[in-house]
Amino acid sequence: MTRWLEKLQAQIVGTQVWRSIFRHGYPDTDVNRALAVFSNVILHLHPIRVKRGALKIRYTWCLGGLTFFMFILLTITGVFLMFYYVPDTRRAYNDIKDLQYVVYFGNLMRDMHRWAAHAMVFLVWLHMTRVFLTGSYKPPREFNWAVGVILLVLTLILSWTGYLLPWDQLALWAITVGAKMAEATPVVGVAGPFGIQLGMRPDNDIRFMLLGGTVVGQSALLRFYVLHCVGLPLIAAFFMAVHFWRIRKDGFSGPL
Amino acid sequence: MKAIPAGSDPAQHLKDQDLSRRKFFALVGWGGFLASMGGAAFGTFRFMFPEVLYEPPTIFKIGKPADYGMGVTDTLKKERQIWVVRNEKGLYVLVAICRHLGCTPNWFQDQARFRCPCHGSIYDIYGNVRGGPAPRTLWRAAVSLDPIDGQVVVNFIQRQDPDPQSTVEGLTVPEEGREVEPFFVKA
Repeated sequence: MTRWLEKLQAQIVGTQVWRSIFRHGYPDTDVNRALAVFSNVILHLHPIRVKRGALKIRYTWCLGGLTFFMFILLTITGVFLMFYYVPDTRRAYNDIKDLQYVVYFGNLMRDMHRWAAHAMVFLVWLHMTRVFLTGSYKPPREFNWAVGVILLVLTLILSWTGYLLPWDQLALWAITVGAKMAEATPVVGVAGPFGIQLGMRPDNDIRFMLLGGTVVGQSALLRFYVLHCVGLPLIAAFFMAVHFWRIRKDGFSGPL
Repeated sequence: MKAIPAGSDPAQHLKDQDLSRRKFFALVGWGGFLASMGGAAFGTFRFMFPEVLYEPPTIFKIGKPADYGMGVTDTLKKERQIWVVRNEKGLYVLVAICRHLGCTPNWFQDQARFRCPCHGSIYDIYGNVRGGPAPRTLWRAAVSLDPIDGQVVVNFIQRQDPDPQSTVEGLTVPEEGREVEPFFVKA
């Protein structure tokens, strides 16, 4: 049995397919261990060598990593929810109810998406608090702090756009209220300072652009759906890539 | 369990094939981990199979037999994907799905032919193939009369599909054998 397994293993590892994917031997020497991290597109964001002290959790609490984990979880569960959810005002609420009560694993998917969303917002705040308290926002890391602030805003907008999708009373009025705030933006909002003087009307200001109409209706639902599922995640992924790359470039202090 | 004499090494009483504590925890740990991963994978797979379908019903009523005149009635094609055909003896229902690759043929009253726009299959009023690439004759759906209101009930899923014979005119099924219950209503 064991010999048979060893033969099979040798055969698989010897193929061109295997050797073109894994361009190094088993990570049982220092060189191969370094290559395993270095030559992997996902792992290469990580330092090749991690010092023993860096494994201490109490310095950063791994809050940024946990936030990223939530983002991955949200992306995966979100894709599954998209198989059943249709952003149509006539059926969006029913699709959510189907996910909760009819679709196998649907309620788990929805709950995971919802709780991970709450957790992501919460963890972003904790992460930024930690960065503030350890002074990690100071030069030369001020650029990454600014990128982080953009990611905070993107997280909040992602959360807000997802809020509308169940199309229940809470969703409708939350977005009505939020859009009302957008209306009060200076210059580009009809209710904001200098808005009316600059020709802003309810059908041409920033709220109108946001909702695709003058009320929270079908256009707003579709718009928020597209932003929530495609637009904002892509932008967030781009800024996350910059954020992680910057961490590597700026280096760590303390035990890391 | 036997009592271990005082002063002796407890490990002595273990046999080689006995499960050590380390092995036991490894087994439980990996078993639990793999079981939960397997459960999640299974549930996620099941997720992709809907429990409720929002599709048109496959068993439906199409009104009284008297509503249908001689020959082919073309009015239900869009809504129900069927043609109702009446002859001297009664009614049968043809499924408006081409047997070549599943397009919807059109009925041409002047030619008395169904012609498929996709690849040019031609059928006559019985559903027999008169030309084109279709490998079999048109399906006939099961029909019955509702005992209460006398309406024609169509079962779109239950279909008659006999093996056709190759003749000079095309792939043909003798009509006598086809006009039987539950694929024919005498009316």
